[in-house]
Amino acid sequence: MTLWFIRGLRRGVVTTRYPGRPDGSARYLPTPPAFRPQALTRQAADEVAAICPSGALHRDGSVLVYDVGACTSCGRCAAQAPDAVTASGEFELATTDRSALIKKIPIRGEAP
Amino acid sequence: MAEDARTVERAAELRADIARQFGRSLHIRTLDTGSCAVCEQEIRLLTAPHYDLHRLGFFFTPAPRHADLLLVTGPMIRAFAVAARKTYDAMPGPKVVVATGACALGGVYPADPFTYGTVDAVLPVDVWIPGCPPSPLALLHGLGVAVGRLAEKVRDLPFTAADYPERSRGDS
Amino acid sequence: MTPLDFLYAAGAAWFAAGLAGLLFARTPAGLRACCALSGLGGAAAAAGGGWSLLYGNTALVSLGSATVTGGPLQLQATSLAGVFVALLGVVAVAIAWYAPRYHAPSSGTGLYLAAYNLALLSCLAVLAAGGMVTFLIAWETMSLACYLLILRHPRSVPVARGAFWFLVLSEAGFLLVVAAFVILSAKTGATSLPLIAARAASVDGGWRAAAYLLALIGFGFKAGLVPLHVWLPEAHPVAPADGSAFLSGVVVKLGVYGIALFAFRLAPLGGAWPGLVTMFGGAVTAAIGILYAMAERDIKRFLAYSTIENTGIIVTAFGAAMIFHSYGQLDLWAFLLIAGLYHVANHGCYKTLLFLEAGVTEHATGTRDMDRLGGLVHRLPRSAVIAFVGTLGIAALPPLNGFVSEWLIFQGLFQGFRTGSHLTGILIVLAAGTLGLTGGLAIYAFVRGFGIPYLGMPRTRPAAAASEAAQPVIGPGLLAVACVALAVGAPVVLSALSRVAHTVTGVTLGPLLLPGKLTVIPAHTDFSAFSPTYLAVFLVCALAVPVLIYVAGRPRAKSVTVPVWDGGIVSFRPRMQYSAMTFSAPTRVTFDALYRPSVSVSRASDDDPAGRSGPVHYEAQVTPVFQRYLYRPAVRALEWLADLVRPVQSGDVNLYLLYVFIVILLAYLLGAV
Repeated sequence: MTLWFIRGLRRGVVTTRYPGRPDGSARYLPTPPAFRPQALTRQAADEVAAICPSGALHRDGSVLVYDVGACTSCGRCAAQAPDAVTASGEFELATTDRSALIKKIPIRGEAP
Repeated sequence: MAEDARTVERAAELRADIARQFGRSLHIRTLDTGSCAVCEQEIRLLTAPHYDLHRLGFFFTPAPRHADLLLVTGPMIRAFAVAARKTYDAMPGPKVVVATGACALGGVYPADPFTYGTVDAVLPVDVWIPGCPPSPLALLHGLGVAVGRLAEKVRDLPFTAADYPERSRGDS
Repeated sequence: MTPLDFLYAAGAAWFAAGLAGLLFARTPAGLRACCALSGLGGAAAAAGGGWSLLYGNTALVSLGSATVTGGPLQLQATSLAGVFVALLGVVAVAIAWYAPRYHAPSSGTGLYLAAYNLALLSCLAVLAAGGMVTFLIAWETMSLACYLLILRHPRSVPVARGAFWFLVLSEAGFLLVVAAFVILSAKTGATSLPLIAARAASVDGGWRAAAYLLALIGFGFKAGLVPLHVWLPEAHPVAPADGSAFLSGVVVKLGVYGIALFAFRLAPLGGAWPGLVTMFGGAVTAAIGILYAMAERDIKRFLAYSTIENTGIIVTAFGAAMIFHSYGQLDLWAFLLIAGLYHVANHGCYKTLLFLEAGVTEHATGTRDMDRLGGLVHRLPRSAVIAFVGTLGIAALPPLNGFVSEWLIFQGLFQGFRTGSHLTGILIVLAAGTLGLTGGLAIYAFVRGFGIPYLGMPRTRPAAAASEAAQPVIGPGLLAVACVALAVGAPVVLSALSRVAHTVTGVTLGPLLLPGKLTVIPAHTDFSAFSPTYLAVFLVCALAVPVLIYVAGRPRAKSVTVPVWDGGIVSFRPRMQYSAMTFSAPTRVTFDALYRPSVSVSRASDDDPAGRSGPVHYEAQVTPVFQRYLYRPAVRALEWLADLVRPVQSGDVNLYLLYVFIVILLAYLLGAV
């Protein structure tokens, strides 16, 4: 109990200041992927769409359609195509409009 | 699309209303419509010392009669639709529905004879919080969006890597 | 002209009503005529009783010759009895309005009404008795008439058993009452009550105490003091509703009258201990009565236990009054007498009302089981409103009458420190604490007693089909009006009762108690004051505030009507509601030392390890402690004694001839000596 009390004094307030200030722990969160259009070939797009477990990715012609709302941030796409996919680090994704969560990523060489 | 526009307009009005009336005391009723309980764990973490939801004036209540905000998790199984509807009806207005997690947003389960697959099929959702599960920080952000105290910027997020700096953290 | 003349008129009317019931109750017109006569008698009794509060004691009147009844018929209208006579009259009027709609015309009804009117007449005779013999004959007649009244349907086993409990305990009490009177009469050399009262001071204190204790126990059987109360929950449910209303409203009060008669008029005692015994008897009775009431599902048994509780409260007040008398606090002595009498009148009104409404419920739905009722407020709206008034009264909630009298009793008990003895003061406050527990539990019990049958959804089909058509309303309605009048008119009642206290105790309390017109200062000028009238007016105004806010705020706030929140269940069934037993479960758990509950759960699929479906049988019982551990051993001992003396009566004629011979021999021998 005493140790606990002293430790509390030494460490100070642990409560995050978010949303007033950024929270340091945010960078450890698993976050949805971000895509590099330069490296996103049609083959890579098809591969990641096939491997996505929650159906958040599918290719619509020359674009890769990415539904952030359906994404579970599992990281399989990043593992499959490490050149084309990386973690976005974005977690402030709440929105009042469902359609705002659907992103269209152009595929390299096929951009209209 | 006209309906969508109206919905968006209504949601904006609602948020303004909530921000005015419940800026510092907003009561949350959570509703589990068939989730795997991970979302619930994250929601529960909101009351932990690190996040301390109450400092922002949010409180959990067990009775929808006292609730202003309905925090829905899970893919909305069909057996639960009546209860969800009753819960929503029992809440006094103005009220806001927040769909939480990929299941609730329609990501994980397709509609089938047992689930609707998305909360939107039963309740008029005002705020969507993606994530599987959404972290407590994401939930805090979502609640802020719901009361109109945080701006949303999702529409402008491109999700192309050029806009994100390379991270030191190793997903590689 | 004296109040006694009114009582003669009432007695004559009830006698005529009894005859009319016996002869003509087979036709609806005859039934109505009988009840009308009975009601007229009630009105006369109420007028006579009310007048005798102000008039004081009348002179003793002797009728008839000494040879007929073992003494002349001696009658006297006294102030003390006046309270009870007025209550008797009001109850009789209410029941007279109620009975023609409750009973179907038949010869059985005729017999019942004859017994009922005889009971009214004998109750009046008990209260107007001016002599010991008159009192005892009237008392015994009253017991027998009530026995017949309970036996309305004599072929049913529970009815016979309930009536038998009543008769046995009445007779046991009667013997003790006879003993008490005989002691006083022998020691004072008088048989008329005024003479006994006048000479009682000269009797040795020990004899007076013995007479008082005998009377306390003897009348305690009738009043329902724990552990002498067991007849109430047995006899009340089986009697017709108006019969049990009469039993609870009046007959039980006669036991209280008997205790008051001995405590304040015939044998006022010196020391504090008889008062302490009385007070703690009352306090324990009150607490145990209400605790048992919580465990009952049958409305009438529930009300019967609540009667026990209220008797306990009254007797506590009387006991505390005796204590203050012994310490020379004459003002408090008179004050607690007033408070107790006030509670007598209040309880007589609302308990009669509630029993009458229990009868309405039983007629409309066919059951008295709370767990089979529900939602009656929509089906019996007028009865529900009337029952609600009675419930507020009996739960001692302002602005109804029960609050006023219980508050006065508490104010009296809080003066315990004025006795000058620390121990006695603490004991009095202990009794006040017990009454506090009782009062809290009473609110709890009556939230249950009103909420379960009247609110919510109907639990069974008969409850859903209940209808108020052809159900009596005026009789209980009259009592509801009386309840409100006793609350709002508290200053009037108190000034009348202070006249009674003046007649009985010689203490003039009126100006001290009622300094203003509507303000009451109980007990002591520097302790407390309040006005029941203003309180009632204020509470009604306070009730109007939310209504006003609603009316004023309505244009701005849009109101939405949605179903009741039921936890989101698909279909909410009546059996999912709180039941009477679950509602009282917390007390059953807290006080399980008293209840000794036994619970058995068995599942139809117990033998089948795989299946958990099927009906579950759940049974919870409360041990009847007093029947099992007090009365059953007593009955066994009696049977054992009877077995012992059985050889005496062998059936052998020769033996009997021997007995005759021995008796004659003894007679000669004794004659020779």
